[in-house]
Amino acid sequence: MNLNFFDQFSSPSLLGIPLILIAMVFPALLLPSPGNRWINSRLSTLQLWFINLITKQLMIPLDKKGHKWALILTSLMMFLLLTNLLGLLPYTFTPTTQLSMNLALAFPLWLATLLTGLRNQPSVSLGHLLPEGTPTLLIPALILIETTSLLIRPLALGVRLTANLTAGHLLIQLISTATTTLMTTMPVVSLLTLAVLLLLTILEVAVAMIQAYVFVLLLSLYLQENI
Amino acid sequence: LTRSLVPSAPAALRALPPPVAVGVLHTTRPLHTTQQSLAPLPPLPEKGGEVRHGLIPEEFFQFLYPKTGVTGPYMLGTGLLLYFLSKEIYVINHETVAAACILTVIIYGIKKFGADVAAFADKLNEEKMAAAVAMKNEAIQTLQTAIEEEKKEQWRVEGRSFLFDAKRNNIAMLLETNYRERLLMVYNEVKKRLDYQVAMQNLRRQKEQEHMIQWVEKNVVQSITPQQQKESIAKCILDLKALSKSAHAAV
Repeated sequence: MNLNFFDQFSSPSLLGIPLILIAMVFPALLLPSPGNRWINSRLSTLQLWFINLITKQLMIPLDKKGHKWALILTSLMMFLLLTNLLGLLPYTFTPTTQLSMNLALAFPLWLATLLTGLRNQPSVSLGHLLPEGTPTLLIPALILIETTSLLIRPLALGVRLTANLTAGHLLIQLISTATTTLMTTMPVVSLLTLAVLLLLTILEVAVAMIQAYVFVLLLSLYLQENI
Repeated sequence: LTRSLVPSAPAALRALPPPVAVGVLHTTRPLHTTQQSLAPLPPLPEKGGEVRHGLIPEEFFQFLYPKTGVTGPYMLGTGLLLYFLSKEIYVINHETVAAACILTVIIYGIKKFGADVAAFADKLNEEKMAAAVAMKNEAIQTLQTAIEEEKKEQWRVEGRSFLFDAKRNNIAMLLETNYRERLLMVYNEVKKRLDYQVAMQNLRRQKEQEHMIQWVEKNVVQSITPQQQKESIAKCILDLKALSKSAHAAV
């Protein structure tokens, strides 16, 4: 198959059947389910330990009311982590490169935090729009700025994830194309490019994990402000 | 989650009148007499399945061994790969290079950190088991200590006759001491009263004596007439003179 640079970002379909749902659900199939046993296999033990670690990290800054969000935040984290990391394999489609999916994740969750805050403690929630200790003259301008920054949060969340992953994948594609093209004409330069590609791959692995973490962390921060 | 649901209780339990049915534990089998359906689980195998090159199970190699020997699967792999490449069923494109890179990173990661991660997972399980085993051992230890203490108490019981004798002696001594103290007190009191009587008598005698002496002296002094006084003084002077003469003679 001959690939151009856009194929990896197009939503996959087979004979006209969109496969996006399978692509999104597939990573969950890779996780072992907790067994009936007291001492589990290594993979189950590690998975349990990891999920405990994430949940603790996310829930420590929140008070009791925020613990209702534990399940969705942890499962969101696992989902993003797995999709991002699996997308680094060759010929795979990464659902999180689609802006539609990321906005669909970010927007409702952000809106939920906002509405929780406005409903339960409206004055505190609106109070976040004005940082302490601002000079009186700057108050109107600052309120406008803070409102804009508040309203742009879901867009930022979604676009951040999309842009990071898309850019990473695109860079990998471009540099590997350069390597392939140079292999016939200038092998040494090709080898240098290969070295760059190796480093970039390591970076992309890190970015995949960090972006997932940042997404969930920012959501938990928005939750902290509003809970 | 693959946890199986508890089967529902038999109709007999549910048919009880509502106040009883709420409090009754709805079980499907008599507890503590029959075996639980979920236990004991068969133990996990000691080691995972044997895998060659991290991907291909050993059973595949064993499967091909009778027909093609040791090199069979490798020939199969190489042949397949070359077939795909030469017929351009698999095209070499930029993704190949990207695949090579990510596979390098993955394999390097597994080789470097694999053993550590496995040891960490084993350590987590070991800690869990160690905590439970420690609890069990502690309980056994506590019970054994209790047995030792009980044995010691039983041995102590044998010496109770000595204990009672000592206690009896103690009490007898206390009684005796108390009795003697009281005896002494009685003696002292009686002596005090008798001393008082004696002192009274002595005082009376002394006073009588003094009084009598005074009376006698007074009477004697009264009875001395002036004439008697002169006579006695003259006699005294004569005596003195006589004495002085004898004294002169002695010297």
